[in-house]
Amino acid sequence: MTLSRRAATEAWRLLGHLKETLGHPRRASWAVRSRRCRQCLYFMRKMLAAVSRVLSGASQKPASRVLVASRNFANDATFEIKKCDLHRLEEGPPVTTVLTREDGLKYYRMMQTVRRMELKADQLYKQKIIRGFCHLCDGQEACCVGLEAGINPTDHLITAYRAHGFTFTRGLSVREILAELTGRKGGCAKGKGGSMHMYAKNFYGGNGIVGAQGQIFEAYNMAALWKLPCIFICENNRYGMGTSVERAAASTDYYKRGDFIPGLRVDGMDILCVREATRFAAAYCRSGKGPILMELQTYRYHGHSMSDPGVSYRTREEIQEVRSKSDPIMLLKDRMVNSNLASVEELKEIDVEVRKEIEDAAQFATADPEPPLEELGYHIYSSDPPFEVRGANQWIKFKSVS
Amino acid sequence: MAVVAAAAGWLLRLRAAGAEGHWRRFRGVGLARGFLHPSATVEDAAQRRQVAHFTFQPDPEPREYGQTQKMNLFQSVTSALDNSLAKDPTAVIFGEDVAFGGVFRCTVGLRDKYGKDRVFNTPLCEQGIVGFGIGIAVTGATAIAEIQFADYIFPAFDQIVNEAAKYRYRSGDLFNCGSLTIRSPWGCVGHGALYHSQSPEAFFAHCPGIKVVIPRSPFQAKGLLLSCIEDKNPCIFFEPKILYRAAAEQVPIEPYNIPLSQAEVIQEGSDVTLVAWGTQVHVIREVASMAKEKLGVSCEVIDLRTIIPWDVDTVCKSVIKTGRLLISHEAPLTGGFASEISSTVQEECFLNLEAPISRVCGYDTPFPHIFEPFYIPDKWKCYDALRKMINY
Repeated sequence: MTLSRRAATEAWRLLGHLKETLGHPRRASWAVRSRRCRQCLYFMRKMLAAVSRVLSGASQKPASRVLVASRNFANDATFEIKKCDLHRLEEGPPVTTVLTREDGLKYYRMMQTVRRMELKADQLYKQKIIRGFCHLCDGQEACCVGLEAGINPTDHLITAYRAHGFTFTRGLSVREILAELTGRKGGCAKGKGGSMHMYAKNFYGGNGIVGAQGQIFEAYNMAALWKLPCIFICENNRYGMGTSVERAAASTDYYKRGDFIPGLRVDGMDILCVREATRFAAAYCRSGKGPILMELQTYRYHGHSMSDPGVSYRTREEIQEVRSKSDPIMLLKDRMVNSNLASVEELKEIDVEVRKEIEDAAQFATADPEPPLEELGYHIYSSDPPFEVRGANQWIKFKSVS
Repeated sequence: MAVVAAAAGWLLRLRAAGAEGHWRRFRGVGLARGFLHPSATVEDAAQRRQVAHFTFQPDPEPREYGQTQKMNLFQSVTSALDNSLAKDPTAVIFGEDVAFGGVFRCTVGLRDKYGKDRVFNTPLCEQGIVGFGIGIAVTGATAIAEIQFADYIFPAFDQIVNEAAKYRYRSGDLFNCGSLTIRSPWGCVGHGALYHSQSPEAFFAHCPGIKVVIPRSPFQAKGLLLSCIEDKNPCIFFEPKILYRAAAEQVPIEPYNIPLSQAEVIQEGSDVTLVAWGTQVHVIREVASMAKEKLGVSCEVIDLRTIIPWDVDTVCKSVIKTGRLLISHEAPLTGGFASEISSTVQEECFLNLEAPISRVCGYDTPFPHIFEPFYIPDKWKCYDALRKMINY
């Protein structure tokens, strides 16, 4: 193994030398004429191919990984992030943060998985394999992945209907999520919950809640009164279904609307900003100071749900602009490549792997059988012995077990 | 006097055909008399008001649960809550004003005994109370929420119906809020008017996933409340507020359970089945004895106890035996729970019925203030309906 690596390093250095030579205009012409140089080149190519084959056979790493692993990447890099607007707070999250290579790759993979999963769900919905309601969160990946990066797996999370990203970051596999969307047995809620009702350990859904404007103020009051360690998060994607925030809210400074609860406004398209803000908020709550409010300024590329084209209340130009300037995956990728935390090829490779995983999951979700009809009545009550559920006519009854 | 009153009443009706046409619906000698001779009838009215429309009939002292003590309804509720908090270390009681003992004294002494983080007040937000209770229940602790009057449960309706009832079903049994119990004073009280007298059990009967339980007496209340708290489904426990002081009987001190979804046949009979719940059970018990005395009719009296899931078998078996059914409740007639019982019984026992099923319920109006004595289905209205059924 070591031998092969040394050989690979040699080969790489020689290639570098050749690149220099060929790059130089005068030397290049000599080099091409020189048969020896050309022979070197051919020999090098062959050796590299052999070496990579050996390595891929030995450790099952794809060919390009061989080269990549040997290149020197930085272990971590420091980045500057946008300062958060504060409400009733003396100081906010830090403006610089350190991202390690490992974390960076992990976040990239997770965000890419969420993005691909949402696009696959879009595709399946248009093929009518997914029915019902489907609220996609592509564009908002930095929110769910950044949030998860800032909290512990033992913390509890609950959200509203745009929940696929959070379901994934909280630990469920893409297979289970897509199978739940298609309403099959293998889904996380056995196919009975659908898009809006996905649950996992320490993740309470997924709720079809809409119009909780009054309820949230009651929750703020109780949380502040009893100093509950609760972070209230508003993913402000600028539109409530089809109404822009300027037309729906008397005050669009959502981070201030907790009033007596301190708040911060965070750039929700930058995963590092979200992570730092979440860490700050979590530390605030854990220290016993009570609840805190976080507004994440983000954007969704799709419409509110699959039945909303998303262009009747906003322009395509606006969507394109956000996609080209502040796409969260693109931002992370640029940062990592520019600070030598990863290479473009490596990230492309992650893309390929993620694509394959999603394809497999979609295959499973399409092929898995639906739950049996008897399950219609299950789990209404916790009941022992099972009781009968009446229905459309007197002679058909379902048994309800739990 | 009566002739004058009758003539005046007739004149009144004619006059009422004009602007005050709605008065015609409330025909009655008493009303006319009250209008024409207010001074003469004030004492009558006051006397009538002080007499409740029912007489509480205590059950015999239960022997099988150990030592008993004379308790009224609110004391039996306190006893049940005391037993729960003692047995279950995760149990908490919360609601508006429960800390000092509650507006009906159902939680007196519990905060001193168990501490302020187990018995505490909430802000004035029913939706928040039930939402908070659901959250506690999902984590596994036992949540006993109090809604100060059943009339105020409607802001929490969304939380109960859309969240609590469906939690287990929509998560495929991954999560549930089964350890939630909501207690609320219920039913008419003589002077409650629109917002302190309602019986909303029919609204919740339409929601699979929750259980609705209504006791008729202190002994029943303690057993049923303990069963609700221990039941692994979200339960709503309505306590007839008029019985809080009026109903007193011997209740065991130790905890005991009365099974849910089981109706009780209080009195066996062979000619007609009478079904009711809560306060109305005492009304129909009196109707049964009146019928026995005056008509020689033997009535079977059933207390339904659990509204959903209700005990279809007991009621149907009884109707198969007697052939006649009368259901009575204070809630308005249209869409009240009697309609569900009536519909199911006619499906199951059609050929056994001798007469149409009779429902004696409140009028389809909001619960009135001054007209409460006319509104509630008292024993005379039930007796009248029973007589018509017998003579069908």
